[in-house]
Amino acid sequence: MNRYVWLIRREFWENRAIWMVPAIIGVALMLAALFGTVQIDDLPSLDQTRAIGGLVLFTFGVIFFAVMNIYSTWYLLDCLYSERKDRSILFWKSLPVSDTATVLAKLFTGVIAIPLVYFIAADVATLLVAFIVSVRAHSTLGSALWHPDLWLQLQVLWLYLIVTTAIWYLPFIGYLLAISAWAKRAVMLWSIVPPLALYLLERSFFGTHVVGSLLQHRAFDYPSAIFHDTSERGLWPPTLSGGASAATPGSVWHMLAPLDFLSSAPTWIGVGVGVAFIVAAIQLRLRRPEA
Amino acid sequence: MPALIEARDLSKNYGKQTALDRVTFTVDTGRIVGLIGPNGAGKTSALRAILGLTSYHGHLRVLGREPFAERADLMLEACFIADVAVLPSWLRVDDAIDFVAGVHPKFRQERAAALLAKTGIAGKRRMRELSKGMKTQVHLALTMAIDARLFVLDEPTLGLDILARRAFYDALVNDYMDETRSILITTHQVEEVENLLTDVIFIDKGRIVLDSSLEAIASRYAAVVVTEPQLAAARALGPFHERRTLGKIILYFENPDFAKLAACGEVLTPSVSDLFVAKLSGTAA
Repeated sequence: MNRYVWLIRREFWENRAIWMVPAIIGVALMLAALFGTVQIDDLPSLDQTRAIGGLVLFTFGVIFFAVMNIYSTWYLLDCLYSERKDRSILFWKSLPVSDTATVLAKLFTGVIAIPLVYFIAADVATLLVAFIVSVRAHSTLGSALWHPDLWLQLQVLWLYLIVTTAIWYLPFIGYLLAISAWAKRAVMLWSIVPPLALYLLERSFFGTHVVGSLLQHRAFDYPSAIFHDTSERGLWPPTLSGGASAATPGSVWHMLAPLDFLSSAPTWIGVGVGVAFIVAAIQLRLRRPEA
Repeated sequence: MPALIEARDLSKNYGKQTALDRVTFTVDTGRIVGLIGPNGAGKTSALRAILGLTSYHGHLRVLGREPFAERADLMLEACFIADVAVLPSWLRVDDAIDFVAGVHPKFRQERAAALLAKTGIAGKRRMRELSKGMKTQVHLALTMAIDARLFVLDEPTLGLDILARRAFYDALVNDYMDETRSILITTHQVEEVENLLTDVIFIDKGRIVLDSSLEAIASRYAAVVVTEPQLAAARALGPFHERRTLGKIILYFENPDFAKLAACGEVLTPSVSDLFVAKLSGTAA
């Protein structure tokens, strides 16, 4: 197990952007909180401040989450390619670490470690910004950012998203790793070409859209796979449902559908496909150290 | 004691191209073996197969293991430097030592630190900030701190200046080598290693041309320096290679009758590099 800790540390040494990017975002948000001004015409009611508070917290989360997804996609595509490009794979392979352990450590880094870093950065940034704003504003707006229940919900949502993303998108994640282990150059291009080619070939020869709809389903049906019924989506944060009416306070607890997610066939079919791609990535690293 | 490396009918193809063609050899404990051949002869393919970096056909056992299937386990007892340029540029020297210590149970961290202290390279520096010679020293310190029985080097001194090359081989022989270990080294700069080798394997076009200990070379091969009058007599004894330099003619013989050779001219034991050239240039002109 200790060996995996070292393998993951090594990823953090190599890819300093893992922690530098979220640190920069956090600092930028804090600077905005320190020096920015917000014009509010009407003094908001208590409910509204709660809504605004929720929205601010949520927006922060979205910023970190969006950047995190872009970065970890790039990381997964690059991690097995860069060691071949600079030939350092010959150094790593001179150590008693199996290809399986290496690929799994990179998978873990891209899918769990990087999201956790962003999650922590988002939390720290949010707390600091809330603190700065409440000191500067001295008002109801300042205190609006301190809602332990909202904050707790956000934590749960983050962790839920990290875990479910890792499971639902495992086919894409495994695919990126396999391309990273395979492509001689231009990993970005190679990651797009095969699915596009399949899609076009299918359309022109058979006139069907199986590949396209499968990809579309996997890419865009994630929210409906992990949250309850669509009509209830958007209840959280409260503002998104058109103001926090006290009668039905929106809550993340109503939305999460972990049991449905874990018991649905598409989830596990996806896991199967993802595992196949990961096995392919391991075999590729084993067989073509210096293609 | 079984051989450290045992290859029988070892072959490797890249598509239709044959890199190794049913090669058979062994490497025993306590030897420093030079695998010598021109570029593209199959040296690197042989090393890759031995280190488990590539698949192959035929029988191959390294330290009793099947390299391709058991690379990670093999690397507990074997280590290699495949060109010193492969240390990742972003890695700090200290981190490199910590990392190897973390993943390698047979790595002696104090020894690596001591070896590194001798070089005077600061631990905070990244590999990209080091000269090629310094990188070599770091890599050698990392590798020599591993309690390995087999050390494989693939063109280790490529691109190094003469001082760094000399320092590299001195460290290898003085600080690493003992009777329980073996070194396998590929190079095409034969002159540089011939003084430290105990055995040589010549390889050309995927086949072994010569496999011998250095002691055996003296009894098996001879070079005779002749002048024009004795040339015909010497040629009659069947040299496999002939070379003319500055008025002298040198003829190379395999398993000769030494008494008859002595009658033709001065008999010498050919150097490894001369023998290499003679063997690979083929039949007498």
